[in-house]
Amino acid sequence: MQGATANGVDGILGECGGSCACATCHCYVDEARLADLNAPTDNELAMLDNVAAERRPGSRLACQIKTSAALEGLIIHLPEMQE
Amino acid sequence: MFSFDPYAPAVDANPFPFYKTLRDEHPCFWSPEADMWILSRYADIVSAGQDAQTYSSASGNLMTELPGRAGATLGTTDAPRHDRLRGLIQHAFMKRNLESLSEPIRDIAREVAESLRGKKQFDFINEFSSKFTVRVLFAALGLPTGAEATVPESTVRDKAVMMVQSDPVSRTKGPEHIAAYNWMQDYAAGVIAERRANPRNDLISHFSMAEIDGDKLDEREVLLTTTTLIMAGIESMGGFMAMFALNMADFADARRQCVVNPALLADAVEESLRFNTSAQRFRRRLMKDVTLHGQTMKTGDFVCLAYGSGNRDERQYPNPDAYDITRKPRGHLGFGGGVHACLGTAIARLSVKIAFEEFHKVIPEYKRVQEQLPWMPSSTFRSPLVLELAVA
Repeated sequence: MQGATANGVDGILGECGGSCACATCHCYVDEARLADLNAPTDNELAMLDNVAAERRPGSRLACQIKTSAALEGLIIHLPEMQE
Repeated sequence: MFSFDPYAPAVDANPFPFYKTLRDEHPCFWSPEADMWILSRYADIVSAGQDAQTYSSASGNLMTELPGRAGATLGTTDAPRHDRLRGLIQHAFMKRNLESLSEPIRDIAREVAESLRGKKQFDFINEFSSKFTVRVLFAALGLPTGAEATVPESTVRDKAVMMVQSDPVSRTKGPEHIAAYNWMQDYAAGVIAERRANPRNDLISHFSMAEIDGDKLDEREVLLTTTTLIMAGIESMGGFMAMFALNMADFADARRQCVVNPALLADAVEESLRFNTSAQRFRRRLMKDVTLHGQTMKTGDFVCLAYGSGNRDERQYPNPDAYDITRKPRGHLGFGGGVHACLGTAIARLSVKIAFEEFHKVIPEYKRVQEQLPWMPSSTFRSPLVLELAVA
């Protein structure tokens, strides 16, 4: 999420400032790459129930994805709406 | 020799030139007066906020911490307990769950704004924002009002304002600040007990009853979280409203655009949060050595995250000292950021916008009277104690 907001990427709101409290930084990760990401916490899984767009198996909250070398080449898709 | 003293009246009045020197010449600066390192650049503050494991909140997050508070509020607790506590209550603060508060907030704003009609000059804080924030907080938290009130609203407000200040000479909390904090805890305890006995559909009832898989907030956690929320709702939000009023008073073009088109208020609020948030500086404590900009900060050292400085960093926001309501400052630090980002974010945005929609209907043209403002002596927050406005 930090990367998106710092670089002017539209489509990610992050209204709560990255505290996993608003579900407006929803993004879709390719299912084949989910294992490369840090696993979601219970809080994130609960908050994903609140996303405005369709929740899919690859749904994650961008503010909870920690960047690491394992994410090399990762492509993120954004939902049509965040609220 | 350069010094940065967060207790100095000069810093209360105008921290921004100090911040600029910090960012440009001493981006990782040891302040003996603060007894901590100062981080002033946007990127460093964001990184620290995200790395809660290294930059711990468990030893207190206020620059001058209140006794017994660290470890018993959301903002002064680390994972895993923090995540559990926050998860128990944050749904109540989500924008979509605040919709039912819109109408009551607007009624409060209208009523308080109406009381200003016909006045030629008034203190925005005493006559508008204090009354507004106390009433909104009472409505949101379900605190007893009217016939059920246990104390006057003005008393609750005065205590909230007192507890966040410190003594600029001793650089600590004075007895009056501690007394106000203790009063607030007693007050909150009384309300909590009442809600436990007779639960309602309000925030305090929700905290006391909140449970996830058998896990609940304990007595101390309910009490201190409630106390913090009262402080935040009255002091932080009230302080920010005064800063926003100051911006609207001083930047007449921006204000007039907002009066003509109130839909612009939301963007103006965001720009003010960037330009001069009331939540200027918070602290963390290092859990390991960190080397930054050639300085080695040691385990156990306190570190100041100067949000107010990060928000004026041209490395993130071009032309940062310009107040521009079309800027749309993404990722600003006006509400902090990372895992401890302000829980009241959505309610603050909603409340301040509605407050000024109604305020501008009654008072659309105004300007500041005092050339110099009396600033609150606080190492954490920045807002004026009095803001006299003259109606045009």
